[in-house]
Amino acid sequence: MLPEQHDILFSFIAILFGVFGIFVFGNVIQACREREGLNTTLWGGIFAGFALACFLMTVHMFDLVQADQLAFFFGTYVWVVVLLLLTWGMFFKSNKIESQSPPIIRGMFFWTVVSLSLAGYTNWLPQQRSDPPPKEAAIVGDVTMEEFAEMGRVIIFGAKQVAGQKSIGKGQCPLCHGFDPADHMGRCPNLFGVEKRSHDRVKEERYQNLPMKIGETEPAAGIVKGKYDEIPEEYRRQHGPDELTGEDYIRESMMCPTCYVVEGFGGAGDTKSPMPVIVKPPISLSRVEVNAVIAYLQSKDTPGEFASVTVPLPQDDAGNTGGAIAEVVEEDDGAIFVTGKEDIPTMINKLGCPLCHTIPGIEGAVGELGPKLHEKTNAPNRIKDPNYKGTATNTKEYVRESILNPGAYVVFNEEAGEAFPDGLMPTTFSEQLSVQAMDKLVDFISQTEAPAGS
Amino acid sequence: MLGKNKRSITAFSLGLILAMAMYLVPGMTSDAIAKEAFAEQVFAEEAFAKEVLAEEEAAEGEGESEVEWSQDVFYKDWEGNPLKGPVSGFPAPELDESDYNNYEFAPSRMLLWVANQQHLYFGSFVLAVPIFCMLIEFIGIRSKEEDPVMSAKYDRLAHDLMKVSLTAYSWTAILGGVLLFTFITLFPGFFKYMAGIFRPVMHVYALMFLAESGVLYVYYYGWDKMSSDPFLKWVHCSLSVLLNLIGTILMYLANSWATFMQAPGGIDSEGRFLGNIWHVIHSTLWNPVGVHRILGNIVFGGGIVGAYAAYHYLTAKTEEERAHYDWVCYVAMFIAIFGLIPLPFAGYWLMKEVYAFRQQMGITLMGGIMAWLFIIQAVMIGLLFFGANSYLHNGMARVKGSHRYMKYCKYMILLLICCFTMWMTPHTIVMTPAELKAMGGAQHPVVGHFGVMSAKNTAVNLMITTTILCFLLYQKANKKITVPWATVGNCWIAAIFVGAALNIIFLGVYGYFLPANQRVGLSVPQVTTTLTTLFAGTAINISMFKDSESYGDIQWGTQSKVGTYAIFLLAISFTWLMGLMGYIRSAVRLFWHVTEVVRDNSVDAYTLTIGEAGKMLTFNTLFVWVQFVVVFWVGSLTGKKAVAKAPEGVPVPAQQQ
Repeated sequence: MLPEQHDILFSFIAILFGVFGIFVFGNVIQACREREGLNTTLWGGIFAGFALACFLMTVHMFDLVQADQLAFFFGTYVWVVVLLLLTWGMFFKSNKIESQSPPIIRGMFFWTVVSLSLAGYTNWLPQQRSDPPPKEAAIVGDVTMEEFAEMGRVIIFGAKQVAGQKSIGKGQCPLCHGFDPADHMGRCPNLFGVEKRSHDRVKEERYQNLPMKIGETEPAAGIVKGKYDEIPEEYRRQHGPDELTGEDYIRESMMCPTCYVVEGFGGAGDTKSPMPVIVKPPISLSRVEVNAVIAYLQSKDTPGEFASVTVPLPQDDAGNTGGAIAEVVEEDDGAIFVTGKEDIPTMINKLGCPLCHTIPGIEGAVGELGPKLHEKTNAPNRIKDPNYKGTATNTKEYVRESILNPGAYVVFNEEAGEAFPDGLMPTTFSEQLSVQAMDKLVDFISQTEAPAGS
Repeated sequence: MLGKNKRSITAFSLGLILAMAMYLVPGMTSDAIAKEAFAEQVFAEEAFAKEVLAEEEAAEGEGESEVEWSQDVFYKDWEGNPLKGPVSGFPAPELDESDYNNYEFAPSRMLLWVANQQHLYFGSFVLAVPIFCMLIEFIGIRSKEEDPVMSAKYDRLAHDLMKVSLTAYSWTAILGGVLLFTFITLFPGFFKYMAGIFRPVMHVYALMFLAESGVLYVYYYGWDKMSSDPFLKWVHCSLSVLLNLIGTILMYLANSWATFMQAPGGIDSEGRFLGNIWHVIHSTLWNPVGVHRILGNIVFGGGIVGAYAAYHYLTAKTEEERAHYDWVCYVAMFIAIFGLIPLPFAGYWLMKEVYAFRQQMGITLMGGIMAWLFIIQAVMIGLLFFGANSYLHNGMARVKGSHRYMKYCKYMILLLICCFTMWMTPHTIVMTPAELKAMGGAQHPVVGHFGVMSAKNTAVNLMITTTILCFLLYQKANKKITVPWATVGNCWIAAIFVGAALNIIFLGVYGYFLPANQRVGLSVPQVTTTLTTLFAGTAINISMFKDSESYGDIQWGTQSKVGTYAIFLLAISFTWLMGLMGYIRSAVRLFWHVTEVVRDNSVDAYTLTIGEAGKMLTFNTLFVWVQFVVVFWVGSLTGKKAVAKAPEGVPVPAQQQ
């Protein structure tokens, strides 16, 4: 559901409660008419009031959008219904009419409570929304190797990364592969250090012979093993040495996973890889996309260094016939921009702060690459630090400065016994935040402090 | 089993077991044979003959054949090469914005989901009820001579169920129309493609609906007229068989659309139809989904009838009514639980086929974005087993002589809790880097061991075995066994269950020492062990009832409120779980209308968060039950028959030997 739309579930329950209010009114009137001595006017008036209130609240629910509906439902409507139930019970008891409400009502509430508990349980679990992979779009203009490798990263992990969520891009690689030394997924080999391994692997005897010999064709992929010059033309390497290289190994692993199966990761005695052929459906990477992924894999273990990348840039690639690549889709022409109309968690998640920072009050923001944002207490101390070279004189100025110019003061990581890495934090926030958004963010971060007891 | 007639117990049990075996066993065992060995060969030969013919024609003609041949995305010939077929349709469309319509108040995808789910719920109910009616009417006929009162009771029950089903049937048709219009109006581009592929199937479906309606009306409105003559009564009962047959065909035809969307076959990679409609219908998931749905329908139908009876039990004014509806609750729960026990096995089969189709799809389900939904499923299944056992425990309390076994209930609950905990332990979950670091990897060093299939298979098999044991104790609760081999029989039952538990645990532990591909194979002996307890345990138990003495009759109408609400809980859980599994099965296509062939290019192509999905499931559950209440109320307007006087203390079902 879009935020500006109604919540189907709570709109429906509001209708049910509206009907319930009218039912109770009818029930009370009927009970009064059947018995002598009951004050029909009094009780009828009370329950007519409840029925009217339920009706009006139900109508009001349809004037609200999702978030407001939830707030109103749990903040007001539920309590009115609880009050109605209590009054109804009081009516029964005081007039000694029934010991309890009719089974249909008990059943309805039992049903509603159990079903809503299940919905509540699902909302309590970690939330992860998966967007479809971007469609291919032609690359416009020249790209640098850093940008090209970033495109590869997006293919693997997707464009949007939110703290607490496992990111999976068009390539769907993280479903099975780990990328950090600590990843022990166990389904497929960890790709940490794959660049270095790729050069050694092509020389190993196991690679030469298992599960098939070099020169044999793997039927499912239609690839001749170990023959970079027999790769289908649209993916073939057009440059470089006349021998099998690490780049060829990585490309072959994607295009023909069964050509070589890492020990312990295959079926049928490590002769069959579970991995899909990456250039065929459902992944269907294009030439440029395959190269972008290779560029990322070859450079990911040496951040900022691209000397080990051997694939050509799209503009330099002789085999590129109008290269297409997964388009990085963001809201506005590819760039993240926060207007300030968003709520604080949305803003922070959109900017990606939780990936590196632990931010109290933001769910899932438990990143550890950067300092914890306890600025209400930390900022005054840092300004006083002799090593501080910035110009801020108070907390808000310090926070603003840290966002716009992160290098003004590099925080010392006491747990690790060394400073947090300089240069890791982007310096592009001035282009991504409106003035209003910046003020809102600074106000919020200036108030962050360590949770009580921590 | 459900009355005084000795034969009826055997007939009913055998009927259910045979029905289950008929659907499950041949499907599971013969699927590979039918699909790979026989059917594929025939199809391949046909295709080959056509290809040769086309080439010959081309040779005789002016050169190239006009028939274009293309490779099937799924089917293979006997050499393992993709099967070729003549291109007989247009390529799948590249859908754009103009192929989707929407309303402002809700996303099209949600509206379609609601329309689909509501139709499925009602469809499931109206397909399940004739199965119950068939069995109940059959038992009624068989027991007429020996116990006319019980026979009349069965007949009345079957008739009442059919009366409710008749209103629900019209409702189902209306919801089907709503679904069709939702498809046509909101997803016209996609529907056009599907209609192009399934054109003949859709027409056959409509005609089968006519046939179903005709048989249904004759069956229901001819009830009283055909009851007078014994021969006509048998003809009437036979009509229920025909009704079920047509209903099953209807369901299988509709299933083919869904299974094609999830795992297509009979088309090439461009989505062009390759001329063999059976290929398109009989895609790889067709059989497992069909079996799963039949069992699911039985369980869901049992849940609805149970809740219907439980409600009437709570509102009953007389002892007779209370006794009657208490008994109906039992019958419904018996049927539901009987369907529930084999359901996980059908689920395993379905998942096996999913993995065989695309391992990636399987991983997305079990370890990817859908993994948490399976944790929820595990919780729901645990809830079902708890509800079922709670009902049996509470039900046992009203049986004289049950005090001998009540003391074991707490141990069974303890075992269920342990298994449930293991069953719901996830393998890997979404974690932040900090959490990963704190735990030392994606799996917890201790609890992580319970996240793998070895532990889960062990847990769920033990839960099923415990439920079977609970049922056997229920069966013999008021029996004083008099057969000379009673001790031997009891020892055998004890040995079977203890041996089964040990074997299941041993196989589970052994699995940790095997590679993954071999470990998967251990589920077969584990399942076999569980089924052995079901069949062997039940057989020995029933055999021991010969000439048994009774501690006293069951006190129908004394069901506790906890037991009654356990039925409500089961009904809600069935409904919610059915919606959940349907959503998982459908959503695993991710951003494809037809996997890898027709991409969903609508704005709704994303996969929902668990919370959003959960809210929709709850809405669907509440919405359908509001409709069921309306349908039952409408059904009750047609006049009430005089209540057949309930026999004094109808004996405990399954104890009449």
